[in-house]
Amino acid sequence: MKLLTHEIGSLAKPPWLVKTSAGTPLDDGDVEHARSWGDKLGVDGHEELVETLQRGSPDKAELGRWASRYALRLLESAGIEVVYDGEQQRTEMYAWAVEHSNGFQPRGTVRSFDNKYYSKAAVVAEPSLREPYHNDEFAFLQSAANHDLKIPVTGAYTIAVWSYDEHFAPQSGRIGAGHGRGEELAARREFANDLARNVIRPNLESLIELGAKWIQIDEPGASTEADELDIFVESFNESVEGLDCFFSTHLCFSDYDLFFPAIEQMHGCKQFCVGFANYDSRELGTSGADRPGYEVISKFRDLPYEPILGLGVLDIHTDFVEPPELVRDRILYASEVFGDPERIHVCPDCGLRTRSWEVAYEKLKHMVEGTKLAEDALATAGAAT
Amino acid sequence: MKAFAPGIYPRSEKLVQATRDLDRGRTSEEAVDEQVERDLAELVAVQQQAGLDLLTDGMLRWQDLFRPLLDASAGLETGPLTRFLDTNTFYRAPHATTATPTLGGPLDERYIAPLPGPRLVTLPSPFALSQGTGVPPLTIGENVLKPVVEALDAELVVLAEPFFGREEATSPAELEEPLAALAGGPSLALQLTFCDARKPLEQGLAELPVDAIGIDFYGTHVSDVPKGFGKLLLAGVVDARSSTIEDPRELAQFAERLRNEREIEQIALVPNGDLQFVSERIAREKLLRLGQVKTATVEVAA
Repeated sequence: MKLLTHEIGSLAKPPWLVKTSAGTPLDDGDVEHARSWGDKLGVDGHEELVETLQRGSPDKAELGRWASRYALRLLESAGIEVVYDGEQQRTEMYAWAVEHSNGFQPRGTVRSFDNKYYSKAAVVAEPSLREPYHNDEFAFLQSAANHDLKIPVTGAYTIAVWSYDEHFAPQSGRIGAGHGRGEELAARREFANDLARNVIRPNLESLIELGAKWIQIDEPGASTEADELDIFVESFNESVEGLDCFFSTHLCFSDYDLFFPAIEQMHGCKQFCVGFANYDSRELGTSGADRPGYEVISKFRDLPYEPILGLGVLDIHTDFVEPPELVRDRILYASEVFGDPERIHVCPDCGLRTRSWEVAYEKLKHMVEGTKLAEDALATAGAAT
Repeated sequence: MKAFAPGIYPRSEKLVQATRDLDRGRTSEEAVDEQVERDLAELVAVQQQAGLDLLTDGMLRWQDLFRPLLDASAGLETGPLTRFLDTNTFYRAPHATTATPTLGGPLDERYIAPLPGPRLVTLPSPFALSQGTGVPPLTIGENVLKPVVEALDAELVVLAEPFFGREEATSPAELEEPLAALAGGPSLALQLTFCDARKPLEQGLAELPVDAIGIDFYGTHVSDVPKGFGKLLLAGVVDARSSTIEDPRELAQFAERLRNEREIEQIALVPNGDLQFVSERIAREKLLRLGQVKTATVEVAA
């Protein structure tokens, strides 16, 4: 019995990349970060990076590639089987996509929560792809990775719902006209499907041509509007239909019940990777009562096209390092519910970019250890029957 | 015709960066305080330039609509991070640890900043603050909000209510006692933000014991406002969730419709909710347009 482990997306960027990107001078601690993590992870040639940082005025793009090498090694040395680079070379999942597309203009920052903000753009014309915007990154990672790759690509619906609409929705005559939800829905559908056809799909085609085997469509905004789930599904299908690749979707931090029955129509989705640990107990146990965060997983099991479930077992909102035994029990519960462990992959709830590398590394190592414990337990149970 | 801007105003890019730096240990609280003061001075100047009738401090230190009240109350605390309506902005939902939470003391100048002129203050409505706590809105009103309201020196207190208009199983009658408990001090307005107010209006929203009612006219049809509406109407004519800058003439024409078709005498033009859902640059432009609507209204009327 083998359970595949994979990452989800983002990792924190190292201080030497963050500061260089911001034009802030590096200090000795930043250089030491590059040295100590290079040693720890066995990053080939990292002494060259250390020398570059010590000399000063490093090239930002080159530092981005170094950060990708470090992130790959961090994931690989933690034992993760399918990896990427923690999106080290991207600005941010939304900003990167709209910066490389036509039809958008920046509109400043908006609060996400507390002191956390995100950049928001407006669609001002029909969106189109300026150029495939993950190709360079993917080509580089193909040359640098030792493990298999899975590419995260921000989905059409999330880009649509995170943008202001100055093009598809009516711009005048709205005041006092009543809540034209029908009009809003029609505008969002057109926007999301245009993005799917003209931005996401050409990106996917290009990545497949380069050799991509697994592409993860990230849709953290999928459940923003409960009455728009069919638009999310439609835009996903529009993005991937007929393309020859393993497509998965990442959903996180939602009321997952909302997705049913809408996602019954997402036939092109071979795997859903979903965050559950955030809602779960930290106590050990493999019964339903022990695992309240995973209550909804039977609905994923019962989807007619029988997708794999990427089981989120690490809470990315906390520095708490899940003991391997807790990871094991989460997997065993899910395996029991699914009745077929081959339909389970193991992953964090979401990208780990809000955690330090120290914490992320420990969490990931424990995830791998816990997965091995679960494999052993499943093998023992299989032998006993 | 009046105009003003209740609710949380967006922080400038400089203040956003300062708070980020503070979180990452790269700057001091004093440096953030200084930037807050600069943001506040700029906001006051913009409101004065726009000719707004009441000033607001923009709630620049409020992390969300509830936080300072939760921090200042015994028996209330922050709960899980929760999506605010159908936006991508999240707040810490109020959570009660006792059946009778009480305010520990009035909000200080960090949260209700002194201003150089007639002012308004925005607070959550008793219904909004009680959501999810299991504590009745009346208890929240009497024990938490009333001491705050009583301590205020303000021309108007706007009680922001984002949830009520979206609840199927509620009626304005439920708000009557909690709002009455807050009366006796500054004038009170209940503003239903980001929603269609048709049903609450049909059920007697206009009869609630407050001096003004706020309606989102991007969610509500003009004909749903009762003719001869007898209170000050806070007409939400600036869309705080859209990056599109409103045309003052279109808004002025709409204000005239309110006056002529709906026979409403007292109107204040406001955003339909917190301007924090757009960037500060856009919000500033929207405030200036609000002022221009006042002028344009005079021209349309002439």
